[in-house]
Amino acid sequence: MAGTRSSTGRSGADAPRGAEHELLAHTAEVKLRVRAPDFPTLAGEAGRALAALELAGDVPPATGDAREIVLRAGDQGALLVDWLNELIYLAETERWVATEFAPEAGGALELRMRARGVTVDIAPSRVKAATHHGLDVRATADGVEAEVVFDV
Amino acid sequence: MTTETTAGLPVTRGACWYDVPAGARPGMRVPARVYADATLWEQISKDRSLDQLLNVATLPGVADRVYAMPDVHEGYGFPVGGVAAMDARTGVISPGGVGYDINCGVRLLATELEVERVGDRLEAVVHDLSRSIPSGTGRSGRLSLAADELDRVLAEGCRYLVQRGEATVDDLEVIEAHGSLARADADAVSDRAKTRGHDQLGTIGSGNHFVEVQAVDEVLDETAAGLYGLHRGQLVILVHTGSRGLGHQVCTDYVRLMDQVMPRYGITLPDRELACAPLRSPEGQRYFGAMCAAANFAFANRQIITHRVREVFRRAFRDQGDVRVVYDVAHNMAKLEEHGGRELCVHRKGATRAFGPHHAETPPRYRTAGQPVFIPGSMGTASWVLAGTDGNMELSFGSTCHGAGRAMSRHAAKRVKSGSDVRRELEARGIVVRCGSTGALAEEAPYAYKDVERVVGVVHDAGLARRVARLRPLGVVKG
Repeated sequence: MAGTRSSTGRSGADAPRGAEHELLAHTAEVKLRVRAPDFPTLAGEAGRALAALELAGDVPPATGDAREIVLRAGDQGALLVDWLNELIYLAETERWVATEFAPEAGGALELRMRARGVTVDIAPSRVKAATHHGLDVRATADGVEAEVVFDV
Repeated sequence: MTTETTAGLPVTRGACWYDVPAGARPGMRVPARVYADATLWEQISKDRSLDQLLNVATLPGVADRVYAMPDVHEGYGFPVGGVAAMDARTGVISPGGVGYDINCGVRLLATELEVERVGDRLEAVVHDLSRSIPSGTGRSGRLSLAADELDRVLAEGCRYLVQRGEATVDDLEVIEAHGSLARADADAVSDRAKTRGHDQLGTIGSGNHFVEVQAVDEVLDETAAGLYGLHRGQLVILVHTGSRGLGHQVCTDYVRLMDQVMPRYGITLPDRELACAPLRSPEGQRYFGAMCAAANFAFANRQIITHRVREVFRRAFRDQGDVRVVYDVAHNMAKLEEHGGRELCVHRKGATRAFGPHHAETPPRYRTAGQPVFIPGSMGTASWVLAGTDGNMELSFGSTCHGAGRAMSRHAAKRVKSGSDVRRELEARGIVVRCGSTGALAEEAPYAYKDVERVVGVVHDAGLARRVARLRPLGVVKG
């Protein structure tokens, strides 16, 4: 499938080593593929991709204190979707877009992330939701890879 | 009819449709039909629309046949432009079959003004509309509701706005379900959803949502147009928006819930976004109540926008600035309806209800014509007023298309032309544009969509709805 490899919205901070994302073709929505050495790093990279979408590619450096976000789910796919929907919710209700991510040690199906971000004037809810459509988190020779579709 | 093969599937081609038998793929419980001509079929075959439609045909309790309208395109879970009816006793309800923008829909407003009389005041009117109706993503409206007020909007929809003076009793007569779904359950809407929506009433949102000032350009059915109060040269306003962040969060909450409970009901699916539960289960009933509440919020959203439009036109045209609701119809909804003596839960995702003249839910004043249906074209192209048909109940559970339908991804559209170029081209054609994001203009450019004339032609020829009038854009307000 044709796609657009993105430089991960690195304006705020460099992407972690081995993490990258690309936008794949989809007729109406935004389909994201993310690769990283491990799942927590992948979640951070997906968060960076989401920030680039929300801020139309213009991601400023993060400001202010980090906040800790802790989520649990029944499997990694659901955990990834929950994580992205949490970021969408924070962007729309608090006008706070998370742009930098530092994973912390967590349980097998737990995501524990410290995130820093930016407060914006207008809540950037261009992205309505992360969906479960075609959700696929799989192990690869280099770590882990996932695809997720955003409703925009 | 001829039989051919598309993507390895046996397909029977009819006059205006393409049929895939139930046995074409393991798990399909019913056959599938795509309404299209050869050109649209070729476009539809290029993305995953058909694949997604066949997935829908595997849902428990699905009745008779699943349908794709001629504007169908790839979505998530259901295709956008998909229709599926589930047996209300034995079938499921799927939040993904309604979509994140619950009760996204279209409302047509008619003025008493002739376009030629408005003349050079058009730009000022469009500008005032853009100032009065917040359009950008997540941008709050001027109406911020207290918790008890929001609960009343969720429970009562537009009926509550009559009490507040933001709607009239006459408005309610020409809104689907009178703008108030009785099964709404405000308590089934999460606090997170309410937080997202409490200050979003009266806002358009992003993507393909808009408020457009239009001219009635051509009337093809004088009788129906007369009943709808439309005539050539008249200035009208088309509003396209939905339930905003509140609806998005309701869908997010319930897809998550149903994803978790499906094993309890022994449901396995080819796509997790089709997550569902039996309609009669506690989870199914709770989602249905939340969805109806979000739908009431969307009806109220379009009503508050109507209220703002009325303020703008009164400021501009004083005693000649009256604005009347022609009709308001949803295109992302699950409704309990009777079809062939059965109660079915009809999921329409990117598809419009289009009941005929003799249906009890067609407003009495429109009974000899059929329920009005509005089909927005792509930005800068024509939109259409159609009328529902009685025969449609046998053809697609009383459904028709909802727009032109995307043919090109947003990214690809932006590669063709810049937003500035699209704006210049629209303005060169005399269309006034107010858009918060230039990039959004490129994503929504006409070439990113199918030909609305072709889509409406298939709908008309197939008997899903009748052409009544064509509308020409004069001014566009977008997020």
